[in-house]
Amino acid sequence: MNELDKIPVRQEISVAQGGAKRTNPLANVFDELVRFCQSRSMFMLHYCTGCGAIELPPAMTSRFDMERLGIQPMVTPRQADILLITGYVSVKTLKRIILTYEQMPAPKYVIGICSCTVNGGMYWQSYATAKVLREYIPVDIYIAGCMPRPEAVISGLRDLMGDIKSGRADNWKRYFQNYDHYLGNQQQLFGEDWQTPTDIIAEAEHYGLMTDQTLGEHTALLQKHQQPLEALEFSLGEKREKIQGEER
Amino acid sequence: MTALDNLLLISAVTLVIAVLAGNSRVGGWLVTIMYALQGAALMMMSGLGYSTLTMVQSSFSIEVLSQQLLWRFDALSWFFALITIGAGLFCSWFASGEWGEKYRDNGGSLRLFHGALALNVFSMLVLLASGDLLTLFIGWELVSWASFLIMALAGGKAFGYAMRYISYAFAGAMALLGGLLLIYAEVGSFDFQSLKEAVPTMSSATLWLLVVLLTAGFGVKMAILPFHLWQAKAYAETPGPGAAFLGAISSRMGLFAFIVVIVQLIGISRLVEMKIPFTFLDAQDLLAWIAVFTIIIPTYIALRQHDARRLLAWHGVGQTGYMLLGIVIANDLGSAGGLMHVFNYATYQAMLFMVVIAVIHRTGTSNLNKLGGLFTRMPLSYLAMLVGIIGLAGLPPMNGFVSKWLIYRSLIVDGSPLLFLGAVIGTLGTILSVYKLIHNIFLGQLRVEHVAVREAPLSMVIPMMLLAAVVFVTGYFPGLVLDWTSAVQASIGIPVLAHHLGGIDMKGGLDMIWIVSVLLVGFGFGTLVFFLGGRSKRVHQLDNYAGGHFLTAETRYHYSDNFYPGLMHLIGPWYRNSFEWLERGLISAVDTLSTAMQGLYRNAHPSYLLLAVVVFALSWVIV
Ligand code: SF4
Repeated sequence: MNELDKIPVRQEISVAQGGAKRTNPLANVFDELVRFCQSRSMFMLHYCTGCGAIELPPAMTSRFDMERLGIQPMVTPRQADILLITGYVSVKTLKRIILTYEQMPAPKYVIGICSCTVNGGMYWQSYATAKVLREYIPVDIYIAGCMPRPEAVISGLRDLMGDIKSGRADNWKRYFQNYDHYLGNQQQLFGEDWQTPTDIIAEAEHYGLMTDQTLGEHTALLQKHQQPLEALEFSLGEKREKIQGEER
Repeated sequence: MTALDNLLLISAVTLVIAVLAGNSRVGGWLVTIMYALQGAALMMMSGLGYSTLTMVQSSFSIEVLSQQLLWRFDALSWFFALITIGAGLFCSWFASGEWGEKYRDNGGSLRLFHGALALNVFSMLVLLASGDLLTLFIGWELVSWASFLIMALAGGKAFGYAMRYISYAFAGAMALLGGLLLIYAEVGSFDFQSLKEAVPTMSSATLWLLVVLLTAGFGVKMAILPFHLWQAKAYAETPGPGAAFLGAISSRMGLFAFIVVIVQLIGISRLVEMKIPFTFLDAQDLLAWIAVFTIIIPTYIALRQHDARRLLAWHGVGQTGYMLLGIVIANDLGSAGGLMHVFNYATYQAMLFMVVIAVIHRTGTSNLNKLGGLFTRMPLSYLAMLVGIIGLAGLPPMNGFVSKWLIYRSLIVDGSPLLFLGAVIGTLGTILSVYKLIHNIFLGQLRVEHVAVREAPLSMVIPMMLLAAVVFVTGYFPGLVLDWTSAVQASIGIPVLAHHLGGIDMKGGLDMIWIVSVLLVGFGFGTLVFFLGGRSKRVHQLDNYAGGHFLTAETRYHYSDNFYPGLMHLIGPWYRNSFEWLERGLISAVDTLSTAMQGLYRNAHPSYLLLAVVVFALSWVIV
């Protein structure tokens, strides 16, 4: 089993995420403000995979009311900040989780609720579950328990908020920086022709997060059979039309 | 030669050119230029629109039945003529480029199309110029037949709808003729002035009969309830820009005649005196309620349409209600709102039809279930449609907001909360269905078969963009249009609305310059944040969230059929097609009656005649 900790990770954390402090005190204040705002306004996409989901309604509604912390459910990954995985992850579900995770815009955070996401829990012997979630996508917070009570969920969320505020929650960058590793684990499970619509390598370039760990043998395998999806560009089409007109 | 003579002459020449040269490529452009010339001729009379001139006579007149037939323009005619010629100009422009070529290649007669369009404009100008009731009737008939011509051009189904229209129009014309005969019997003249003088002395019963006959006659053209069934289908099936033209102005001719005869000559104050026995209502309330139901019912019919042209055409019926409502309320605010709505509505309805026709031109369909995602392919058309639907829904910053605001405000000032509620319900339906329109055509998933679609040609895009500019500018500076409506108000003798360039000055007034500027600043800030804020990345449409589902080009995730199921669950049972049912009942009644008459005359005729003679002879002998 691959151990994430054994992988060399580049400890280069951007200033906005609060790693190294900037010398300009005003810039520091600005960074802190940004992080504070980020930690206080989080939209959460709960991918209700297993039994743990049942503890979310009380956590969200008036009894425990997570909205007082600025946390709200969101319907699409494009607007969400947190991905909640609430229980055992079957292989089939994991594909969907990865697809959804890749569609979320950075910065994004993953919370694994339930023991099943930590190490497979009581489904450890199951042939159909992916046991350790963080082998496939980076996880920021685990909330263990079978299942954790709403208090635990809230406390986990508060931990995440603290991490964001202090700039420690930057696991989303690891996905880009160590893409080859994650992709390798995914390919092991789903087969060699596994691909998602999102082009992670292009995104890593776009965000400036390419490292020597981003590309490797697994990405080479991916690129061999990947059919990239080109974004739809605006077209007025007048030029082509003029050419046609001349032909006529 | 007066300015009006010039205008009518140029319009007639346009017609001739359209018929002679309409089929050629230059012909279309020539006709378009002729419309521009008509516009210039109209501008020679622009004093009418600013109350510096009261009337322009035509030097042409004839004598019939010892009646002098007159044609003249006043502020009202000028205002409507402006819209008519503008609509003609833009539609002909739209038709002259690639659309026309395609139409001809598909076997349509461009000559007939341009001819019919020019004939429509000409006949409308003649109607608008009518100086007495007889010329009004002549113009009325001309307009009816001209519209029939352009509606029937497409043949097939369209011809059936056009026939339906002409049967309605005939019934309306008969009602109108009845009204005119009644006037002649009472007044002894077709003169506007003598009718106006005779109204105070008319008995209430006569007046009721007159109002009912005339409103029915004009109402058929306006397609107010219960005569609304013919319009949407007939307009929607009219070829291309013809639909835009008809939708923009054609049925406003009914409103014009209504204003001339009912508002100007009979007078709203007289209508208020006409109480309906055993109710709290009077004739004005009755008309206002007809207007409100004309807003609500067709708008909600539009909500259920699957064809973009049908949807728009049904809105055309619904928006008529707003105009009529404003004018029937007849205080300074309401009538200004109603009149302004005529202008505003024409601008965005023409534009919306043009967008839909451009989409048909490129994709071959206007079926709302078979489109989607065209935003990236036809961004300018999208922009035009966006501007248009904001106007149609009556939201700032477009001009539709101003006219609807005036109408709402007049209803509040007038103390009619229920009418107000009805109007708001109508607006709600409008907002819902225009969203359906833009969503199903431009937003969502681009279909595989539309990936190669291009933006509409310039000959289509430029008229759309110009109209979009008009919609925006007259929303930003509504005073431009309110100047004209004030002139109209002055000339038809209702209180004039005090206004300035940005709107109106009163307690709780409206200043669009402020509102729109604030909006623009807000949007500007948002745009700044968007472009300077962070790096964004465009993604493919299949890189989309569907509950974690992997999307392929074959997956239809564009939600277009059975739009608003929740709402339909609530109001679905209300759609009972009662009017269709009524119409069918009427048709079969007429059918039976005519079969019976035919039977009487053709088959049973000799024996019945014999019987009648015998009975007559016997009774004569006995008595
Ligand atoms: S940890 Fe327990 S409650 Fe949570 S998903 Fe696993 S079995 Fe269910």
